[in-house]
Amino acid sequence: MMKTSAAVALSGIIAFAAVGGLAWGGIEGSKHDFSKKLWAAGETCGACHTPHRDQPPKAVPLWDPAADLTRTFGRATTRALVPGSGTLMCLRCHDGTVAKETIAGVLRARFVNKQNSGLLDAVHGGTDHPVGIEYPLFKKGYRPVTSVVAKGTVVLPQGRVECISCHDPHNTAGAAHMLVTANTRSALCLTCHKK
Amino acid sequence: MSRQPRAFMTVLSFALLGAFARADESVVNSKHDLSAQGPGPIRAVSETEICIFCHTPHNAAPQTPLWNRESPRTHYRIYQSSTTDARINQPSGPSKMCLSCHDGSMALGNVLSRPASHPIVMTARTIPPGTTDLTSDLSDDHPIGFRYDRALANADREVRSPEVVSQDLPLGAHGEVHCTTCHDPHDNELGDFLRISDQMAAICVACHDMKGWNHASHSLSRKPTTGRSVDPTEQLKYTSVSGNGCLACHKIHSAPQRERLLRFPREEDNCLNCHSGEVASYNIAANIGKRSGHDGRYRRGVHDPAEIPFTMRRHVECVDCHNPHAVEHDPIGPVRGTVGQTVKGPNLHVSGVNLTGREINDSTFLYEICFKCHGDGIQRPRLRTSRQVSQTNTRLEFQLSNPSFHPVAGPRRNSDVVSLIAPLRTGSVITCTDCHNSDDARSAGGSGPDGPHGSLFAPLLVRNYETHDFTTETPEAYSLCYGCHSRESILNNESFPLHRRHVVDVRTPCSVCHDAHGIYRGQGNSANHGSLINFDLAVVMPANSPSGRRIQYEDTGRFSGNCTLTCHGMTHINFPYANTTRGGVTSRLGGSSGGVR
Repeated sequence: MMKTSAAVALSGIIAFAAVGGLAWGGIEGSKHDFSKKLWAAGETCGACHTPHRDQPPKAVPLWDPAADLTRTFGRATTRALVPGSGTLMCLRCHDGTVAKETIAGVLRARFVNKQNSGLLDAVHGGTDHPVGIEYPLFKKGYRPVTSVVAKGTVVLPQGRVECISCHDPHNTAGAAHMLVTANTRSALCLTCHKK
Repeated sequence: MSRQPRAFMTVLSFALLGAFARADESVVNSKHDLSAQGPGPIRAVSETEICIFCHTPHNAAPQTPLWNRESPRTHYRIYQSSTTDARINQPSGPSKMCLSCHDGSMALGNVLSRPASHPIVMTARTIPPGTTDLTSDLSDDHPIGFRYDRALANADREVRSPEVVSQDLPLGAHGEVHCTTCHDPHDNELGDFLRISDQMAAICVACHDMKGWNHASHSLSRKPTTGRSVDPTEQLKYTSVSGNGCLACHKIHSAPQRERLLRFPREEDNCLNCHSGEVASYNIAANIGKRSGHDGRYRRGVHDPAEIPFTMRRHVECVDCHNPHAVEHDPIGPVRGTVGQTVKGPNLHVSGVNLTGREINDSTFLYEICFKCHGDGIQRPRLRTSRQVSQTNTRLEFQLSNPSFHPVAGPRRNSDVVSLIAPLRTGSVITCTDCHNSDDARSAGGSGPDGPHGSLFAPLLVRNYETHDFTTETPEAYSLCYGCHSRESILNNESFPLHRRHVVDVRTPCSVCHDAHGIYRGQGNSANHGSLINFDLAVVMPANSPSGRRIQYEDTGRFSGNCTLTCHGMTHINFPYANTTRGGVTSRLGGSSGGVR
């Protein structure tokens, strides 16, 4: 009896693993694989990574070299968002200038303005999930931070929610929308939200 | 079996319990889990995400919390009530979010994160008709979209101040009541996604502070309501009167009676559903249906709690005399003759008109409730007996300055009433219900409910009271009068020396000479209308006296007087009487009495 159920469980695990395997991801062939672009000259990683710290990455069209990694967003009166590199790296393209999928709404001018006064439309009340915001430690409706990061799929760099908390630019899991894990049964949302 | 497997089982069962508890308090596996794996009949065909039906992380609607649906463009019919002080507007904010599914106007699978041409395919396109489909008619639902502020609490004393309302019930950004004030769409642990349980009206009394509710039978009674069918589609949620609380009479959504959200459109049905001998002890339905009754079924749709007694159309409903939020059981029942008797449990916190004719919110005395309809109202019951002086305004009939009156509004200091049966004595006070009561009233020795619900004896009298001429005197014939006035004393002529002659010998009913309520001071004085004398014109005719045709009674002292009238073919002209045994004046004043002319 025990053996049978163990066997059933085992086969279930195997089946699950197999299904997971079907959706095997990776950057190659994903939307972040820029190797076919003319400007990339066959390089996949060059758009974002350089081998040396002082060497600028490949010149992406419309790339704004002034977009440094210390920008803050938000009105002076509201809680300023201080996105980390896990967000700002993404915003270099996903702010309406380069990539179609923009955080801040479709070509929202106020975000395209890359001055420090530029508003990130991802504060509470915005149309995008907030980023650069501290994960609430003791708030109703949110799971404990330890359980959020326990599995390692969702990361909270410096305790903040960033783009890379949910998205994996390298598409490792191969989930839709380059999520860090498949959002079946809203599992990704419910990692943080206790709803 | 060693100890280990048992320990393992314990751990396992706790884990399972934990899993269930967690499932309950989460949107996952609740009715709002519309994913293909959701538990309800309404769900997606293939979509596996749960949050997506309402929320999206990017490009959401410009309203928190990352809303993934259009706002419905429906114009709603909003709640209206003559008694609300709230200024109810079209729903806004979070309420519109709920209504984007729950008004039935928008497809469930239409989300902003999907192109309109490719919505999420659902088992039902829109929310199917039923209890969860509120439709565009919100007038039969608890009002939303009004500001619950201190001004409202000040205007309506039966609403708590918003500061003391539980933090579990969040108001909108401007203090408005929304769907989300009572409902938490993510947590169905309490059922109906309620934030506080509705058992014993817990969620209702968080805001509503009905006068008298804490002690009211309807909030405390443990009588079983099991199996009460309230409407064809719904049974009461809980098993006792107190358990159901407000829900016993009110329906918070899709109420059949829109105004005040009652379960039944016909006023009395809300009461008689239980008070027809099935839940409550007494069968009121049987009582009001008697020959003479305060039958609420007689006039429908007239009663309005905001009505003005002086101008309202004639009607009677249970709630005209009873406040269902404050009624209490009265274990003792009325005590006859108690001076200054105030209203008891069944009539607590009922509006009325006081003796001076002023409208009051809380009647102190029972007669003040009666005066609402039987006092100054424009549609008073007409007189049953045509008398020398007519008065249909009962309030005037019972004024303490009247020449004579039954001591309802206050005591009389007249010691002439020698027939009183103890404990009644000079100075005692009676109530309307001492005479006007159900014939089987508990206080009258019966087994039924107290109060003027209905009687076999018109006009709603507790006992028989013959008013027909030539009634043979028996204890039963004037049973009503003999309840307080000793038959022995009356028939032994202890006050009026000719009582036996009139009542027994020539079979004249009490009502021919006496007007039971009283004679208004503006229509008579103690000389001509003392001792409740106000002749019945169907029996008593004018007599041709030297000073003209007239009917006249004249009081000439204690137990003495004279009459000028024609009655039963007998004519009295200044016909005097006096009670010698009680020190009355014995002189005959030259009056005469003759036979038929």
